[in-house]
Amino acid sequence: MSNEHHHAAEGEYIPETYIPHPETHGTKTLWRVFFILLFITVIDFAIYFIAPAGLSRNIVFIALGLVKAVLIVGIFMHLNYEAKFLRWMIALPAAVFISYLAWLLLLEGSFVSTY
Amino acid sequence: MSNSATVSSKTWAGGRSPFNVSYGKLMMWVFLLSDAFTFSSLLVGYGAIRFSYSGSSTPWPDPSAIFNHFPFAHGYYLPLLFVSLMTFILIFSSVTMVLAVEAGHRKSKAEVSKYMIYTIIGGAAFLGCQAWEWTQFIHEGGRLDTNNFGITAQGYEHLKEAGKFGNHFEWMAGDRQPGPVPFASLFFIVTGFHGFHVLSGVVINIIIWLNVIYGTYERRGHYEMVEKVGLYWHFVDLVWVFVFTFYYLI
Repeated sequence: MSNEHHHAAEGEYIPETYIPHPETHGTKTLWRVFFILLFITVIDFAIYFIAPAGLSRNIVFIALGLVKAVLIVGIFMHLNYEAKFLRWMIALPAAVFISYLAWLLLLEGSFVSTY
Repeated sequence: MSNSATVSSKTWAGGRSPFNVSYGKLMMWVFLLSDAFTFSSLLVGYGAIRFSYSGSSTPWPDPSAIFNHFPFAHGYYLPLLFVSLMTFILIFSSVTMVLAVEAGHRKSKAEVSKYMIYTIIGGAAFLGCQAWEWTQFIHEGGRLDTNNFGITAQGYEHLKEAGKFGNHFEWMAGDRQPGPVPFASLFFIVTGFHGFHVLSGVVINIIIWLNVIYGTYERRGHYEMVEKVGLYWHFVDLVWVFVFTFYYLI
């Protein structure tokens, strides 16, 4: 590195300018995910009118929402194909803190009264 | 670089990116993680406030009693139909966005440009829908500090009788009274915060599209900026999945 006019050699790592070579997975999976998302939305719509309102229906809606979220983040946002450390750095804090918030709501929610 | 093989075998030993992404993309992920916390706090707050009204004399209104309009079908009871259309628009603009990213990997400028245009149109259409939804709600008396949708027992009885999907439905006198104010304020805050994300997404998409057609990324040799704005755009779609679930379905 003593040479001031040093140029980046092929494959040398410079953090500020590093761009990994993009990998293509084709468009087939993308369209399949689109149709799955569409199908789940139609299922949501159908359940809303078929099933009576209540806890079990809400659990189904939240579960279907989570399936949609996993598909969007994993395939559309490409996280499934990213490096292991990136996957965990994003997924773990989100899962831990958001489920903690939801758990607090379920635990403390009935003690709050605003009316 | 004779020792490159031994160096790259250790993820954190330097000489390589442990996350194997560019700096900009890594920072976009970190930003989106923080934004996910913001939206989850808003939705959990919504849940807590809504929950606190259970058993109240002015109960939290049923969303389908309010958001049941569709453009050009005035007076008809069509709950969930319009928001489902909005969901479809956003999912479609998501798939065109990811197709633009894929075309960028192949360095196909014409295709990236085409799919970016579709995505921008989808985002603008979603914003138009949201403007219509807000106009409808404001027209019926929803304000940040007012909610006309405290639906009385008589109102729910009337809705149960006449509120069949596709039927003509109008509220009668005595069906509604002032209801929980947070219902209206949280509607404006949460959908407004999401809509503002969509608006900024559309603006950023337009800027990136202009760079595509001016050949900025062709000269740069890669279309990574399209991937970054794509991440943001998919996140906006992701948030809508949960707004749709917690606002309109539950």
